[in-house]
Order: sequence, then structure tokens, then C-alpha cells
Amino acid sequence: MDELYLDNIDEYVNDHNKIVTYKWLSLTLGVHVNTAKQMLYHYLDHKRKESGAQLHATYLVSGKFVDNGQTSHKVSVVREEQLEDFKSKMNLVVSVHVYSVQKALLKDSGPLYSVDYDAVRENLKTCSRYSAIRCPSAVPMSSLELQQVREQQQISTSHHENKKPTTNGDTSLTSKPSTKAPKGIMGMFSNKPAQKNHDGSAEVKADPPVVDAPKSKPAAKANPMMNFFGNQTTKKPDKPVKEEEPIPPASTKQQQHSSSKTAEKQEAAAVESPKDVKADSRSKTKRIQDSDSEEERMEKKKRRRIKRPEPDSSDEDVIPDSPQQTDTRQASKSPEKEAESAARPQQDCTGGKVRKRRRVLKSRTFVDDEGCIVTEKGYESESYSEAEDDVQTSKQTPKAPTPPKVSNKEEEKKSQKKSNASKGTKQASIMGFFQKK
Amino acid sequence: LVDKNLIGLSVLGEQFLQIFLGNSVWEVSHKQPAALIMFSELSAQKEGSSLLCRPASEDQVAVFERVSPAYSPCSECYGVGERSFSRQYAHIYAARLMQMRPLLTERAQHKWGSDVLIRKLCDLQTGEQCCIVGTLFKRMELQPSILKEISEEHNLLPQPARVKYISENDELILEDELQRIKLEGKIDRDKCVTGSVIAIYGAETNDGKFTVEDFCTASLPLQTARPTLASDKFVLLASGLGLGSTHADSMLGLQLLIDMVTGQLGDQGEQRGAATISRVLLAGNLLSQSTQDKDASTKPKYLTKKTQAGSVEAMRLLDELLLQLVTSVPVDVMPGQYDPTNYTLPQQPLHRCMFPLSSVYPTMQRASNPYQANIDGVRFLGTSGQNVSDIQRYSSMNSHLEILEETLRLRHLAPTAPDTLGCYPFYQKDPFILEECPHVYFSGNAPCFDSKLIKGPAGQEVLLVTIPEFSSTQTACLVNLRTLECEPVSFSAFSNEEDEESEMNISH
Repeated sequence: MDELYLDNIDEYVNDHNKIVTYKWLSLTLGVHVNTAKQMLYHYLDHKRKESGAQLHATYLVSGKFVDNGQTSHKVSVVREEQLEDFKSKMNLVVSVHVYSVQKALLKDSGPLYSVDYDAVRENLKTCSRYSAIRCPSAVPMSSLELQQVREQQQISTSHHENKKPTTNGDTSLTSKPSTKAPKGIMGMFSNKPAQKNHDGSAEVKADPPVVDAPKSKPAAKANPMMNFFGNQTTKKPDKPVKEEEPIPPASTKQQQHSSSKTAEKQEAAAVESPKDVKADSRSKTKRIQDSDSEEERMEKKKRRRIKRPEPDSSDEDVIPDSPQQTDTRQASKSPEKEAESAARPQQDCTGGKVRKRRRVLKSRTFVDDEGCIVTEKGYESESYSEAEDDVQTSKQTPKAPTPPKVSNKEEEKKSQKKSNASKGTKQASIMGFFQKK
Repeated sequence: LVDKNLIGLSVLGEQFLQIFLGNSVWEVSHKQPAALIMFSELSAQKEGSSLLCRPASEDQVAVFERVSPAYSPCSECYGVGERSFSRQYAHIYAARLMQMRPLLTERAQHKWGSDVLIRKLCDLQTGEQCCIVGTLFKRMELQPSILKEISEEHNLLPQPARVKYISENDELILEDELQRIKLEGKIDRDKCVTGSVIAIYGAETNDGKFTVEDFCTASLPLQTARPTLASDKFVLLASGLGLGSTHADSMLGLQLLIDMVTGQLGDQGEQRGAATISRVLLAGNLLSQSTQDKDASTKPKYLTKKTQAGSVEAMRLLDELLLQLVTSVPVDVMPGQYDPTNYTLPQQPLHRCMFPLSSVYPTMQRASNPYQANIDGVRFLGTSGQNVSDIQRYSSMNSHLEILEETLRLRHLAPTAPDTLGCYPFYQKDPFILEECPHVYFSGNAPCFDSKLIKGPAGQEVLLVTIPEFSSTQTACLVNLRTLECEPVSFSAFSNEEDEESEMNISH
């Protein structure tokens, strides 16, 4: 090996007056860390023999150390004059090497960190290149892989949601933030309509690229405004088609949600380009609403309720925060459930299960046989213990307009006992109940 | 299997059982026998040349491959799906008691004979010897209460900040589904904490109190056997990095830790040893408490418009440090009390947007707190330490290790949640009840390192570890997956002694 590096180190130490650590040297010269340590040692040795120059070094010592009866592995940076002393204190010395070489005497080891810090920051992506350990699994994921991973996570969380009665939480993890966070989620926002439109075609993530694109955007940070417009335009063609379908009661929830002015929208449906602008402004207002206070949200819900196929007006007291989104998602992810319910789209369905004096407003969105998106809402309650059951029924009867609630509950209890996977069957039985009406 | 045998044995005599179960968890050994190989010894097996020589030819450079164990996270139960905070907390206690009652009934029958009379409080008869399963509640004078603060607002003396909230006037009460009863007798009031579900044995006295003669806890759940590993593999546990604190002198220690794990420093032996560190687990408080600006919420918006939260810079630093780690070793990052995620347990993983650099690596795992995972068949369970330090405040126990063991015996990760520890209002299931016995049970941000191997009544073997706060102790710890040994790894630089000396000089 040529000894050019001696001149290099000499330049750094003497001319630039730098603190040269093995790590800095390894990154600067692009050599293996162990080689860098040896270079420093060689330089130090060489210099001292040559001229007895004023050079100070620090060493790294590691080994077994016993302190207060507690054996530990100790890694220390020490000054040269403390080295022998330190080594003698160790029970077993594992490694000793030069840590740094510098002209001045270091009072404090702080500078050692800052020297390395700057070097490491410049080489962040490759900082482990010269180390002695290779980790085959630590390969950065490409943006495509990242997307896939995130998508999987998304799916797994929504699976989790699907199984919600067995777990503690019962609405989505993902939908909530999207309604709450007002900014920086252009992608998420445009994502919502996309998913809902796919519900319409009863596809379970049949075309990931569309769903993905917005998701990856916040990470890439590439011109969110453009993405926003882009997504809106891609989505646009879907919407008018659906709106023109002439079944008024089967109105999509998301249609109601995104546009309270349906009439205006339908008028403008013929022209494409002004519609885009309108869509934009509309969704802007929607975003503002979303980020607004609880009351406003409640108001929106009320508005929605007016359009509901089966109005029972007395159930306004307990409304969970955002059940709609979840359930839409839920519906989109379980086609077999859709199939079940498709037979009788206009019923007021009650779903979900809760324990001990609890009522939950449930709404489900699915596609009926005519291709319309139908949203159903309903209350459901149940309880384990008999005593509470009684209280509940007496409480319940005035509120819900469905008199034979008790039998309903019994049915549920039975199905609950049966198995975990009883959700589907349970709902089917409820459907049966409503069909009688 | 052992449990079943014991049912049969119970006929043989109560005394035998007392010996066997009364003190069912005992310490095996604290000190490591000399025969076991420690990390330093493993690394000290020399080969190749010393680094105190001139560099030889290029090809001599050694590169070790990182061992990669089988890893499967099992923290699903600590995810919070819906975040509805409108519920009352009573449901947790109801769910907890309902889940724990069968376990405790079984334990009580083991301990006091299968014919022991197990009563509900409503059926209790004065003077009758019986066993009751219920939730403990400790009425504490000193427990901070917002209602008290409001009611005494007019002439309020500021309560001094306390380390402990126990006092002489505390009362211990047992609650079941319907009623409660005051406890006295052979139960250590100061040691108990609110929310623990236990079974007590004794009788009600004429004044309506219950005289406890004995009590038992749910004890350790069953454990799946640990596979025998062929070689020594380590998991490094660290907590309390405390980035963004005002005094940054601990940074070199942290950098040394990273350099050791990533195989930068040390001789070849050390680097070979470091390659057997198969995983790094950071147990919370990555950021320092000082990054949390308490005034931020009260300050007017126009004053804080251009100021950056202290945590932003600290988070960026953390991302860079993590990047160095994840390029070389799989890392699990748990949030802690001072980290930017939800405050209540279970704390959800830190958001990936906070790690723009490191989150692109598959080796970066953002975990929840509590954390549960199988690493090479060894089940890890633990928290960032909030549960332990909360019990420390509300009981007479001081050692984090002792409290950790106590929670394992209670079979509950955080009995004081939701009373004095923030917790999500669960209502169907209490996820903090231990369903399966871990092999390594840890808590982070302890004042010092401590570890202990305990054995349970059914042959369970659990390594308890309190992970020290790194920023104050400069210590992390290594768990050997093969032997379930744990040893501290400490880092130091020469500034420490110097500083002390100079401070001394100033003071003179």
C-alpha cells in the first residue's frame, strides 16, 4: 500500500488543524474503518519517530468492566495519557484503537462528536458503506415498493376494521384523520372520492394505480396543487354518469356529502370544463367544513338524514363521529356482504354489536342490483346481562320505530354466541326481520 | 401441566401448597455464572491483526454479515381502531374484572383448596370465611384531583410536587361488579395499587370491614416454549435517548452506541460480536422532555407563528441517527411519554412522515407502546416505562424491577390505567391483561439498569429488564436470545471526569 495517506493525514492535522477521527478519515478517503484506524496509528507512530511533533491522540478502549458487582461491556474514548490506566481497570480488554489524532489537547470529547457529525451528515446515505458489518436486508425500498408496503398496511388496517366487532375500536383508523386534518392531505382528500367511486363498480381495489397515486404524493411532495387538479379530472367522468341515473332515493352518501347543491351540479353536468372548476371550489368548501367544528358536522349529518330512505327522526342524540366513511369502506371490502344486502336495498339495517347499554348508529353503503349506491342507517343495541337488558328495552322502545326489538336482540345474542364469523349471518337475519314490514 | 398436577396435590395438604404457590414466583439467580459467555468475552476471541499497526494489504479487510433472526410483531392488540373518546372508563374495569375473574377463581382454588367458598360481595355474610375476587381501589388523600383543585380554587395553596402520593390515611377498598368493601388485615396497603384484580381470603367483621387473611394474584400466564438457538444472538435494548435536550453532552455516547452496533468501532472481534446483535429496540422517550413546550397552547397564535416547535429539530436529528442504524440493523422504534404521538396508552407508532430518511428502509419498524414481538421465537413484551413509573408514584415500591415483577404477577401491564395513567377508553376488552407469558419482559426509562430471571409456577422463565434512560446513564443493554442473559453496555468519554473536576474547582 502506498503511503500517500500519511501526507494526506498530515495535511488535515497540521495544515487544516483538524481533528481527524477514524470515521471521518474513512468517509473522506473512502477506506474501510479498520484501515482508517490503522492509518491513523501508522501516522501517529511515523510522526513521533520522525520529529517528536506535538500530536495528541485519543483512543477507543472497550472491554469487560466490573463496577459495583455489575459486569458490563464498556466502550470508552480516552486520552492517550489515560490509556494504560484505563486498560488496567478493565477486566478484559476487547479492543483498543486510535480514535482520533489532533494537534491540540482536547479538554472535552464534545468536538469529537461534532467532527463526525458533519462528515456523517454529508454521507448519510452511505454512512455504513465502510463499516465492518453488512446487513443484507437493509436495502432502501424503491418508491414503488414503498407504495406497495403502504398499501398493504392500508389493507391490513381495513381488514382490521372489517373484523371490528371482535376488537375494541369500531371505526376506522384511517378515515378519521382524513376528515380532521385540513392541510397537506390533498392526496388523501382526492383519494376519498376515488375509493367511493370504486365502490360503485363493486370492485375491491381492482385498479391500484388510481388509488395509489394520491397516496404516494404527500411523500413525494411533488406539486400538491397539480395532483389535486389531476385527480379531480380523472375522477370527474365517473360522477356525472352516476348522478344521471334516475333513482332519487338511492343517492350516494358521498354525493350528498361533497355536494349539497345537487341540482346545480346536474345542470352543469353537460359542460365539462367549467365543471372542473366547480368541483374544485366545491371540494374546497367541503374541506373547510370538514375541518370545522363539531356542530357543523352535525348539521351536515342532519341534512343527510333528510334524504335517507327511512326517516326515523328521533335518533339524533348519540351520533358517533364519522361512521359513514368506515362503513363505506367496509362495504367496499366485503363483496359478499354487498351481495347479501343487494336483494333488499332500501331496508333500515341495524348492524354492529356493543355491550352494556350502548347504542350505535350504523350506516352501510352498498350497491343494489340497479347499480345505485344505497346508504342505510339504523340503531342497534344489545346487552349481556338480563338486568341491563330490561333497562335497555324500556329505554329503547320510544326511540326506535321498530316495535319487535326484543326478538331482534335475542336473535343477535344467539348469533353472537355461535361464532366469531357470525357477523354476516347476523345481519342477514336482521334483514329478514325487516323484510316483514 | 404442572397446574393440573397441583389440583390433584391440593388434597395432600394446604401447607405444601402454600410453599409451592404462596410464593410462586421466586428469584433464580441474579449473578451470572462464570460459565456463561458474555458479550465482551464473545467479542474478545481474537483473530486477525491488531488495529495498532500499519495497514496491510487491502484484501485483509473483514466484513461480517449481520445475523437476521425470524421476526414477527404481535402488537395488533395494542392498535386503536376507532378513536372515540366519548365513552366512560367504567367499562375497562368491568371488562378487566370479567376477564380476570375465571383466572383468579382458579388461582384461589389452587391456593385455598378447591372447596373454598367464593362469594360475591352482595352475598357476603358477616363472620363467614370466604374468598372474594374483585378490583382494588385505593382511596388516597394526596392523589391529585381536578375536582379538588376547582373546589378549592378560592383559597388554594399550591400542592407541592410529590414523588409519592401515598399517605397514612389511605384506604384500601375491594370492588366487585356491584359493591365495595373496605379491607384491613394482612394486606400491604401501600404496596397495592388501584385497578389490580386480586382474590382475597378472610371474613367480614361486624363493623362492615373485611379482614384479609391472605390474598392471591392471577400470577404468570402460560408460556410457549422457547426454541434452542444454535448460536448467541443479541437484541440491544435502549431507551430515553433524550434528543433535543438543552445539554447535548451525551451525544458522543449515543454516537458510540450507534458506531458499536453498526460495526464501525472496535477491533475485528468486537465487530464480529456486534454483527450478532440482530435487532435494536428503542423503548421510548427518543426525544427529551424539554422538546415539549408547555406554553405553546396558551401563548397567542401570532406570537408563535414563526417559531418552530422544539421537537422538529430533535426529530430531524433522530431521523439521521436512525438512518445510520437502519442501514445496518433492524430497529424497532417505540414511542414514549415525551414523544410526538398520542399520550394515552396504548401509544400508537410514530408517524412515518417524521422519518423521511429512515422510513424508506425495510429495517425500520415503527412500533407501538406497549410492544410485543417474537424475535427468533423469544417473545418480547414491554413498555416505555410509563406504567412502572406511575405505580412507583402510587405505591410504596421503589425499584422499577420490583414493580415490573409485580405487574407480571398481577398479569396486568398497567393496573393503574385508567385511574392515574392515561389510557384509551376500551370497553369490550382490556388489552393490557397478559394473555401469554413473554420470555423477556421489559420497561424503559428506568433510573438504572437491572435485570432478573424469574420462574413461574408452571415452569415459565421470564427475563425482567429495566432499560436505563440512556441520556442520563449512557447505558443500554444486550439480551442474549440463546441464554436469556442480559448485560449492560455503557459508553463514556473523557469529558465527564473533566467536567466534574472543573465544576469542583469553580465551587471552591
